[in-house]
Amino acid sequence: MTEAKDMTFTLETAHAKVSEMIGAIPTALTEYRCPLCGKIFGCYADLKQHYAVEHVGAIPPVTVVLTLNGKSCEVLIEPHWTLKRTLQFRLGLTGAKHMCDKGVCGSCTVIMDGRAVLSCQMLAIECEGKEIQTVEGIAADPKWKPLVDAYCRWDAMQCGYCTPGFLVSAKNLLDKNPNPTVDEINEALSGNICICGTYPRHAQAIREAVEKMSEGAVTNG
Amino acid sequence: MADIVGVNGQRENFRVVGKPNLPGKLSYALATGIAKFGIDYVLPNMLHAKFLRSPYANALIKKMDITKALALPGVVDIVTWEDEDIKRLGQNPFGPPSRPYLDNWAEQEGAEVGCIVVAEDEDICEEALRLLDIEWEVLGHVVDTLKGREPGAPTAHMVEAAPDPFSKPPEKPKQGNVSYAVTTQGDIEKGFAEADHIIEYQLKLPAFASHMPNPPSSVAWWEDNPYHGEGPDLHIEGAVQRRENVGRMYGVSNEKTVQEGLFQGGKYCDWGMRKSQEITPLLARRTGRPVRCAYTREETFDFLMNERFMYLKVGFTKDGLVTAIDDFSIADNGVYGSSSFGTAGDQGYGPYYTFKCPNIRQQMDIVDTNRGKMYVSGQHCPFNWDSGTMAIYLISEKLGMDPIDVALINVHGPASQEDNTITPSLLACIEEGKKFVNWNWHKAGERKLEDGRMHGASFRYQMCPRHAFSGYDCKLELKNGVVHMPTQGPCTGIFAVECNAMVVAEELGLEYADVAIDFDYRETFTPVGGGSDGTTASSWAMKECANILKQKILESAVNKANNPAPPSMFMFGQPKENPLKGHTADELDMINGMVCLKADPSVGLPLREATSENIFATFSGRPPTSLWTMGMGKMLDTMNTAYCEVAVDTETGEVEILRFDAVADPGKVMRPTSLESQIDQVLFFSQGCQLLEEYVYDEKTGVRLNNNMIDYKKPTTLDVPVIGKKFLETRAGNAAYGANGISHSLANTHAIIIAIHNAIGVWVDPPATPDKILKALGKA
Ligand code: FES
Ligand code: FES
Repeated sequence: MTEAKDMTFTLETAHAKVSEMIGAIPTALTEYRCPLCGKIFGCYADLKQHYAVEHVGAIPPVTVVLTLNGKSCEVLIEPHWTLKRTLQFRLGLTGAKHMCDKGVCGSCTVIMDGRAVLSCQMLAIECEGKEIQTVEGIAADPKWKPLVDAYCRWDAMQCGYCTPGFLVSAKNLLDKNPNPTVDEINEALSGNICICGTYPRHAQAIREAVEKMSEGAVTNG
Repeated sequence: MADIVGVNGQRENFRVVGKPNLPGKLSYALATGIAKFGIDYVLPNMLHAKFLRSPYANALIKKMDITKALALPGVVDIVTWEDEDIKRLGQNPFGPPSRPYLDNWAEQEGAEVGCIVVAEDEDICEEALRLLDIEWEVLGHVVDTLKGREPGAPTAHMVEAAPDPFSKPPEKPKQGNVSYAVTTQGDIEKGFAEADHIIEYQLKLPAFASHMPNPPSSVAWWEDNPYHGEGPDLHIEGAVQRRENVGRMYGVSNEKTVQEGLFQGGKYCDWGMRKSQEITPLLARRTGRPVRCAYTREETFDFLMNERFMYLKVGFTKDGLVTAIDDFSIADNGVYGSSSFGTAGDQGYGPYYTFKCPNIRQQMDIVDTNRGKMYVSGQHCPFNWDSGTMAIYLISEKLGMDPIDVALINVHGPASQEDNTITPSLLACIEEGKKFVNWNWHKAGERKLEDGRMHGASFRYQMCPRHAFSGYDCKLELKNGVVHMPTQGPCTGIFAVECNAMVVAEELGLEYADVAIDFDYRETFTPVGGGSDGTTASSWAMKECANILKQKILESAVNKANNPAPPSMFMFGQPKENPLKGHTADELDMINGMVCLKADPSVGLPLREATSENIFATFSGRPPTSLWTMGMGKMLDTMNTAYCEVAVDTETGEVEILRFDAVADPGKVMRPTSLESQIDQVLFFSQGCQLLEEYVYDEKTGVRLNNNMIDYKKPTTLDVPVIGKKFLETRAGNAAYGANGISHSLANTHAIIIAIHNAIGVWVDPPATPDKILKALGKA
């Protein structure tokens, strides 16, 4: 554990780090761990057999293939696991945050097939075959650098716990409406709760990002 | 006061300090999801732990059988309150025994009690908890503060808490659930005799949830690290800024208590540690594996502010001058171990500091209950009770005077309570504020808007409280030509580290981005004093440190210029003439990343070339004590004002905040973007507690009914108004460059409530929900 080293981030280092995190997620399972007793098996069939003998009556975990940030990832989960739980405990992605766990606060927002959804309210098994984008995926896409940058320049965060959820909602809004008004921004972010009360900062940040992105589009075009 | 003692306290030109939009040093990690909070950590082979939680509001476990739970596949350990190692936890071996860390008494519904289950995952923990065989003795409970005060009410606390060392001894002995606290100054009888009018009024201050965004959680493990000496290191993540305290609980030195995470989430002065942040080292030691203990949102509904019922009597002259205040309140003391900051600890530290009135009595009945716990807390601190603001408003209504004029008659001057002048900072704020909001006072119920809704307004002033109790140990290092600021994490959202880096850059002629922050848990510098103290006072100390470093750099540059290294076989060509040669340190300066001549800044060398030495500077200390602290509020330096306008729909009971404006003097604006955020946040808190937030209990069972974010409502982006902000800089504070900061002095419990009264002429207790407004209007 050497996380504290080199922990002041810039736009570029954060971008590199999330890209590396996504790259490091294994695409296929190499071991199958029994969630009840921790025993490890080399294949799924052996794990099932173990259940049949040692945990009679218990429901064995299942394998699910998620399409996450453009990458296929196979995970072993219990059928009742939410996407939020799977992201954290199987894929090491903790940008989707647990704040309410009730579908109220938006801190766990991800984009699925082009819609913002609450990962604490989705079973992971329902998500198979859907394109999922997390905050890490958005931050790893160079297109969204102006949005990330504007969030940081405007302090659209205090403690920063809710921030990834807001950023995902903001990106989802800009996908559909690339030039939103302040009212449209507030409407689109009204499903995200920030207990530090940063609300007025988000519209400022998003408006700045919109301007920068449209300048960029003109320059690039 | 101003920063006349510190170096460059009177600086006039700022390049970095006061500049907006400089990103936080950790912001990119937060925005992109890289940042890990205590709840986020997942380690290989990690176990999970859950406390048993009481289904009853006040109960004892008589017997508990863990056999079935322990036999459940996946359960690794169950710790009960009778185990020796938990009995010893947190006990001072030299002092009298305190209440055990875990025992068999549950003081509120949901309290951690009896045992902790450790298992392969959280679902198994929960299933095991259901398999416990428990015999409970259910006791009577108190969840209604007023009923708990009555004779014959059930005893809420099985165990008496030790006396609070910060409160003075009580005036009379405790009776039933009620303790008493009285503070008197002057002669209130005489004060009332001098009054032309007496008004009496009541305020209900609702309990308000602390609601840390990140449910408190930790993961701990033990690992050998020969670099730190004998025995394993304790590694814990999620212990926030209490790493050393947790280490102490387990007899582990600071050196061997490791916490590398930098993100602690929102605290809002709620510094109390939850059991989930302290227990994991014990469980990891018992099981030999990393253990995670995470609370759920439902388990994280502690009080940021206790409930209080206030009854006030205020005497005043026909000119509006207050002559006597008699303040009696009934306050919820919460469950065992609640902070006295919400009750007796506040007395004499209250909302009337700024009044000239010398005759004030504050009496408080403090009622033990089973409602909930307030940890050390203060986002709504005592000077924000708003009973004084209410008095000013009611006097203005009674006399038909503008409340700003009533405030100006009553507020004392900067030197003492007897000072009849007006603090320049307050005058400046009011003058600007009136223009800024186009202040146009009217009496209650007198203004209708074009759309038929009633218009109401309120005014509130406050001092900017400065603590300056905290000292700071600062260190700066020039390493390979780069200035480093070693800092201990983890950080909360006040951007204090950044503000310090800005001051360092300012003083050393660098850009903000040039100052490298080295986060390291072993460092001592941690800019986290109370409120703005962490930003303004710590940056004063850091300013001194930067100037010590600067002097050393200049001396080193002179030394290098005058004593060049001997020519070496690896150098080619003629050595370049050093432009600083022949000068003394006094003749040099640091500007734009160069060490240069004061007389001609175009002559110099980049910092990296001017010296090749590694140079340390340290400074330990704090700014001179602020006036506010010296006078405990009876001496005033920087002030702030707030203005609120609402529209009330008398048909639907709906309240819209039309505008909320703050005109504040933080002394000097250090980091404007976060200063603005601080105001956004206090309004968000204040709006929530005045319009939406409320704890609801089932009286019969003592169960809290809205421990979740569906039923306990926080404002959203659609609720908060545009918040107008204007900052003045009188440079009258004692910290860096005359800054004071504003802390959370704009937090309020009644600015909106008063504006509602001003609209409709009747009082509505917070939270002023539409149903209550219609009821107050006689329409429901
Ligand atoms: S944690 Fe999913 S909506 Fe709050
Ligand atoms: S920044 Fe702290 S909860 Fe939003």
